[in-house]
Amino acid sequence: MPANRHATLVAREPLDEAYFLLTFRHPEIAHSARAGQFVMIKAGVSVEPPLRRPFSILSVDPGEETFSLFVKAIGEGTRALTRLAEGEVAQCLGPLGRPFTRPEAGTEAVMVAGGYGIAPFFLFARELRAANRSGRVFYGGRGERDLQLRERFTGLVPLVTATEDGSLGARGRVTAPLEAFLDDQAGAVRLYACGPDAMLHAVARVAERRGIEAEASLDPWMGCGIGTCLGCVVFTQSRDEARAKYRCACTEGPVFDTSLVVWPEETESRARRRAKVEA
Amino acid sequence: LKLGVELGALRLKNPLVAASGTFGYGVEYEGLLDLSLLGGLVSKGLYLEPRDGAPIPRIVETPSGLLNAIGLQGVGARAFVKDVLPRVARYDTAVLVNVCGDTVEEYAEVTRIVDGAPGAAGIEVNISCPNVKKGGMAFGGDPRMTAEVVSAVRKATRLPVIPKLSPNVADITLFARVCEESGADALSCINTLLGLVIDVETRKPRLAFGTGGLSGPAIRPIAVRMAWQAAQAVKIPVMGIGGITCAQDALEFLIAGCRAVQIGTSNFVDPGLYERVLAELRAYLERHHLQDVNEVVGTLEFPGQPSRKEVAP
Repeated sequence: MPANRHATLVAREPLDEAYFLLTFRHPEIAHSARAGQFVMIKAGVSVEPPLRRPFSILSVDPGEETFSLFVKAIGEGTRALTRLAEGEVAQCLGPLGRPFTRPEAGTEAVMVAGGYGIAPFFLFARELRAANRSGRVFYGGRGERDLQLRERFTGLVPLVTATEDGSLGARGRVTAPLEAFLDDQAGAVRLYACGPDAMLHAVARVAERRGIEAEASLDPWMGCGIGTCLGCVVFTQSRDEARAKYRCACTEGPVFDTSLVVWPEETESRARRRAKVEA
Repeated sequence: LKLGVELGALRLKNPLVAASGTFGYGVEYEGLLDLSLLGGLVSKGLYLEPRDGAPIPRIVETPSGLLNAIGLQGVGARAFVKDVLPRVARYDTAVLVNVCGDTVEEYAEVTRIVDGAPGAAGIEVNISCPNVKKGGMAFGGDPRMTAEVVSAVRKATRLPVIPKLSPNVADITLFARVCEESGADALSCINTLLGLVIDVETRKPRLAFGTGGLSGPAIRPIAVRMAWQAAQAVKIPVMGIGGITCAQDALEFLIAGCRAVQIGTSNFVDPGLYERVLAELRAYLERHHLQDVNEVVGTLEFPGQPSRKEVAP
């Protein structure tokens, strides 16, 4: 059950660029959060900017009753969070949403992260190790500086990097080393993706083509986090549904089966097809 | 301290009501807060049938506000009275149901369904949603249609009828009077203001619907002014709505003449705010040596107008 409370910032660690690791005290999240779940959080009690922001939970420490977030200061809300000093409070609601589905025994979890989409996979990698499941991470970004936190996976799971500018790992999209791995892989795998929409869609296509199950963590604008504003809905259609419908990313996601999601490009082509039929 | 208020036959244990579209059907907040703390709550708008709502993206944050075009996605009236109303009616709070329609007949039909099921304390008539092509603001911006819808809903129920007025009109007092003459028991003032946010890179609106409804603290001064105008124009009580974040904001509406207030966008920002706002409200009454929140209602001393205290009987 999520809890809404003031969460004190207990540690603030600036990383490269505008990235930060922020650790807050929040017993309910620390004790019950699962990888893929998120929090709605806002610095202090100011009215500006109005809304809380959703963030994937990076890690939890039940002993200390704390959890950590990986935050990039890009707008007003994220800047306000990263400017909090240790001892100051944020308003925080969580843990929220549907977590990643753990792979069956014998199935390897293949995680695909783009930029700060790495966040939920740190908690997931720890969960996998605790459950004695194997996993690996494919981590892509524009350049080396987008691939923060990669050294923290050392000893947890193998991690392969790719950058579009070639500054670290393979040059190009992260789906290239992913596909090379899948080509050589004989055992069962399940894909997990978190990152920009284009990357999520690319992973969904890989999964569909190869007949692999995959889940993606989506990140639309969110108002409330608990299914009341209906602002964060995602266009979806399951195999047994006659027509597509909106599902809330906050309560029915943010982790969705990739086969359930009607990706934006598909929405447009469907609309075009419908327009053709009607004309 | 007495916090109870009366809006005609509708009795609220305190003047704080959760606004339609910002509180789901109430049950989403179970476990996060005690719904019995609220004076009342207004359901998400309901048509006869389930609705998909508007295309995505549906929300964009603005300075001190939120622009939305949700388009009244909902489960439909029958599913609501069967699955949701019994659950939310267990709490000690007034459950108001926001009714919508593409036609006058649909408003009346939805009202009859709600009227026939136990648990509802009143009907809020949605003649002000800016994010649908039929009904909503199209009806609430036309005095003749306003009269038709409110009269039809009035005939369909014994419950208190509370039209929710649109601010997107030149003179809200005209619509307030039309509603009163058509049998309304109270008014909700105001719904969202029609707005537009443009992405300058793509030169398209940020919202897929195009325009949206603006809410939040950004609209509060306009909302207070319009609720104040409406309250002066009619004898029926008014519920003030628009950008309330704390007791001080709520008190502005009460002093302006509103009997109760609705809290909207702030539900998204802090689902636990009712406890805080009630404590702040009690503290205000104590600080001003008042025993009853009703003593605050309509006490605005406006330049050039006789003080309400002097003209009171």
